Amino acid sequence: MALPGLSLPGLGLQPSATPVYGGAAPPPVEQIARREDLPPQSEWRFEAAFGQQYNIRLLSGQAELFGVELAPKQTYNLSGCKGAIFTWQGCQLEITGDAESEYSAKETEYAVEWLNLHGMLETARDEAQPDGGPRVLVVGPDHAGKSSLVRSVAAWAVKAGRTPTVVNLDPREGMLAPPGSLTAAAVASQLDVENGYGIPPISGPTVTPIQTPLIYSYPYASSSEKPAVYKALLTRMALSVTNKLEEDATAKQSGIIIDTPGSLNDPKSNYDILNHIVSEFNINLILSIGSEKLLNDLTRRFSMGKAPGESVPVLRISRPGGTVERDAVYMKQLRMSQLRQYFFGNAKEPLNPHSHSINFGELGIYRAKSSSDASNTSTGFGADDDDYTPNFGTTGSDGDFEKVTPSAAMTGSLIAIKFCPASSDGDAVRDSAVMGFLYVAEVDEARKKMRFLAPHPQRWGDRALVWGSWPEVVADLLT
Amino acid sequence: MAARSPRGSLSGASDIASDFEDSLKDLQRNDRFAIENLTNIARESTEHAQAISRVLENHIKATAPTRKLPALYVLDSIVKNVGTPYTVYLGRGLYSTFMESYGSNNDPTTRRAMDNLLKTWKEPVPGSMDHRPVFPPDVVRPIESALIRWKTGMLQKQNQPQLQPQGGYRSTATPPQYNGQYAVPPVPVQQNAYNAFGSQQTPQQLAGHAVYHTPTPMQQHYAAPPTSVLHAPIDVQVVKADISSLISRLQTQFAAAPYDTQVQTKLSQILDLQRAVDAKPPFGDSLRQVRDIVAALAAGLPPLPAPTPQPHAPVQWQAPTPTPQWQPPASFPLPYQPQTAASYMQPPPAQSQPLPILTPGALSSLQALLANGQKPSTPQMRTAVPALSSASHTQLNNVQNNVAAAPTANTADLLAALAKSGMFPIMSAPNATPSVPFSASVAAPPASSTASLLQSLQSILPPASQNGTPTMIPAQLVASKPRIPFSAAALKQFRPELVRSLYDEQPNQCSNCGRRFLANDEGRAKKARHLDWHFRTNQRMADPNTGRGQHRSWFVDEMEWIRLTEFDPSTTTADAAIAATTAKKQKGPQDQYVRAPAGVTRNTCSICQEEMRSSYSEELQDWVFMNAAMYNGKIAHATCVEEIKKSSLQSASGAMAAALSGAYAGGRRQRSETPDSALGKRKAEGALAGAGARIKMG
Repeated sequence: MALPGLSLPGLGLQPSATPVYGGAAPPPVEQIARREDLPPQSEWRFEAAFGQQYNIRLLSGQAELFGVELAPKQTYNLSGCKGAIFTWQGCQLEITGDAESEYSAKETEYAVEWLNLHGMLETARDEAQPDGGPRVLVVGPDHAGKSSLVRSVAAWAVKAGRTPTVVNLDPREGMLAPPGSLTAAAVASQLDVENGYGIPPISGPTVTPIQTPLIYSYPYASSSEKPAVYKALLTRMALSVTNKLEEDATAKQSGIIIDTPGSLNDPKSNYDILNHIVSEFNINLILSIGSEKLLNDLTRRFSMGKAPGESVPVLRISRPGGTVERDAVYMKQLRMSQLRQYFFGNAKEPLNPHSHSINFGELGIYRAKSSSDASNTSTGFGADDDDYTPNFGTTGSDGDFEKVTPSAAMTGSLIAIKFCPASSDGDAVRDSAVMGFLYVAEVDEARKKMRFLAPHPQRWGDRALVWGSWPEVVADLLT
Repeated sequence: MAARSPRGSLSGASDIASDFEDSLKDLQRNDRFAIENLTNIARESTEHAQAISRVLENHIKATAPTRKLPALYVLDSIVKNVGTPYTVYLGRGLYSTFMESYGSNNDPTTRRAMDNLLKTWKEPVPGSMDHRPVFPPDVVRPIESALIRWKTGMLQKQNQPQLQPQGGYRSTATPPQYNGQYAVPPVPVQQNAYNAFGSQQTPQQLAGHAVYHTPTPMQQHYAAPPTSVLHAPIDVQVVKADISSLISRLQTQFAAAPYDTQVQTKLSQILDLQRAVDAKPPFGDSLRQVRDIVAALAAGLPPLPAPTPQPHAPVQWQAPTPTPQWQPPASFPLPYQPQTAASYMQPPPAQSQPLPILTPGALSSLQALLANGQKPSTPQMRTAVPALSSASHTQLNNVQNNVAAAPTANTADLLAALAKSGMFPIMSAPNATPSVPFSASVAAPPASSTASLLQSLQSILPPASQNGTPTMIPAQLVASKPRIPFSAAALKQFRPELVRSLYDEQPNQCSNCGRRFLANDEGRAKKARHLDWHFRTNQRMADPNTGRGQHRSWFVDEMEWIRLTEFDPSTTTADAAIAATTAKKQKGPQDQYVRAPAGVTRNTCSICQEEMRSSYSEELQDWVFMNAAMYNGKIAHATCVEEIKKSSLQSASGAMAAALSGAYAGGRRQRSETPDSALGKRKAEGALAGAGARIKMG
């Protein structure tokens, strides 16, 4: 299964990982192209595993994947993708390779809703008030199709000539960045079939569209792990996004679309974070996918019994019939692939990461404490407590970030370079945007040297580095 | 060492130049090694650049047309791999060198290669850090405008009677149908043969055509000199006017985006079409075909196989082919086919007239020809309208060949040639389409019926234009946009107009990435830029020098992100992009410049000792050193000067910090004008040199 870019050694695609999907993927003996005729308003659902070649070519008609139109007669490599190719007009596809499951489906009422939603947003953009276009929050449980909806609506908006700002608040799956990050990007170029929003800037020419994102680091798997940090980052990001929209009239008119993790769907905290997002981003449309309870709670809170000026409409959006649960193994592979792509690029735009070996003394590394630290039950990361400086956080950071000396425990983890200087206080470290990510290749405690894999040949200088427990350690990125 | 003396160097120059000339003369084809070898000679003898350039220019002008392209490749290789001073010497005479070669070659592929060559001269050398084009714009632009002018001129020539074979600049060889026309002699025997049959049907026409005694309208049309054809009825003129207006539109587009190969292709196609129409005004369905093709081209056809524009093609053109009716010779005169007439509302004369022409003799020779097993001449691989010109030529060639092969029964042969297309219904529509207009026109009824035909055609055109005709789209886009409020009820109902707004109303699709563009002028211009961008990107990515060693850029910080104006690089012109990025950027040291003293093209920065090259500034209309400032009476990098000033103001540790911050800032200054790979190094060196300078000064 030679798949350029993903077949690099050490991606963790052990053969043992694949049979988890029912073991129905025997090694492909021959690649026979097969054809599928799809009637209008139907879709081709597929789940292609990582490392499995799965190519689709549009022979005739018109089709789109998450709102991005397929070019005729072009072969798209959709390995590692779980999605549905939808056709409004009917089409014929040529499919090569094996998927864990693939079938054509006609229950696609969701697509009509989504498209109508696009029409709604277009209306709102045309009639945009001075305070800007539609600012949409998409909520719902995991695996309900939130990200697919956001991507489709963003793709259609770009196709209609808009520049929507897309915000991803799910640290488990990066957007234009490795996992563990929160992203905002104003999308001006057409989205890509294979790469979604495209890729963040690189030094050379690209075929894939380039998007310039603003990245914040939230090195935890779930928003509920450190709600305070999460909310602080949201505030900071909302400030940047609002400022940007003030600078750019087109982007302001095009509005914002916010994708959220399922963990925000949390009645116990009284939807605390959702409230925060709605107020920080001045949300004026909430879309709820796949959860009646959430819909009711939100309607009660934001829509019913409010003055017309204050109420935020809450709409229920159908969950696509083709949504599948992306299990833990798949999500881990997805994160791995995102991490790898950050450093090594994709098949079309391969990149050379650079190795930097730096003395401990020149580094200012902060550890983002995990929630378990508070109860002092941490085992894996507690080795650095002797370096803990309680006076460090001066203004209420209550020790979410602590300065640590490098240790072997960091090997294989991802470290965020913040724009703030290494001597910043805890709040600055927490709120500062991310300049890049480093992969810790080696920690030589004896010689007090650390070797990093960096995306860029230049050093990052005197900047704070943040080491967190998320994304999980990747032992073999370099091997 | 004698060769180094002034006299010696002169003789040395002539020696090297004559060696170079000899090698050039051996260059017969596109031989990479020979070209590389010649490039190396030129590289090693830059002191004789003037002589070598002269030899090369003379060779290109003097050599046989087939060898001009390889010689031009030598020129290209030298200017790209060696650069100055060859660009200067060769740039001077480039206009005449290039135009002469272009004019003396009428092979379309060679011309295309030359067009491509010219295109690359407008761009920086791939992989080079120098962002300037190979030749300065003021060298290339005259050539481009001359080519456009010449193409326009050629077009005007097309509008005049083409009695003489064209000389000089032509984009293709003389259309072969001319030879066919003139080659057909009005053989008396043939006339008799036709009189026997033809007079039964059209006796009144016999009297009118004393010159050739051609009894049938078909014969008359075929053998008539083109001059008479040009005085054909006005409706053909209408079509011609449409074609001309399309041409002028395309030329505007071509002028706006001279590198858009699609526009070029379209332009050359439509020119070919026009030539063919001029030569032989089409009638009936063929006229309709021409109309459709013009309409389809006007609609901005997708570049690659596009069956949609002519969905009626098979019907249209099988309809006039009376093959089935011809089989029984006894059934004369034949009734015309009512089905076709009904579906296309064509007046009966258009259909019925060609049929009576048929004679048993014609039929037999037709059958004989077919029995000979000649293959259909339509090139089956040419799948789409873009192939129209060449396909029609081939078809006509075949007609002509048939005629030449059997001169006594040329009408029959024509019919055979025509029928061949019709008798092979296996051929798909796009295959068949190209051959229709002209072969059909050969057998078509007299021009008098075209007026009514055209009228009926016009009644058909609107429905046909639904296949993506641009005219009504802007209106649709505005009018059909539904207003949908934020409400749950509005989500359920399917609105096809939303689908249309994403697909049909943007019919102009990029075949590489599926991106769609509006069919108006803005959309076309955007698409032209977009295709240009694809071309440039692919070229740069294919270049081994840029393909490797790329790295991820750092992410931007908040302020930069807020200020960043997102634009789509694939549809934005460089000027607009630069304007967008520089509008908010303060004028930094890298934006400073010094006008280059006369004759000075290179300079060494007095601080970092790196080479600086002058570039032509469009804004200033002068040669300048960019990122330059005067420092101690010498030209130096403005960034270096700033570093020096900064560091001399600060303490030693401050200078170190400045150097460091400079190095870090370099990472974020990726998109600046300065070549980034040199930036970090220059920064560091600048700071070091600055420290050195400070010590000297101190």
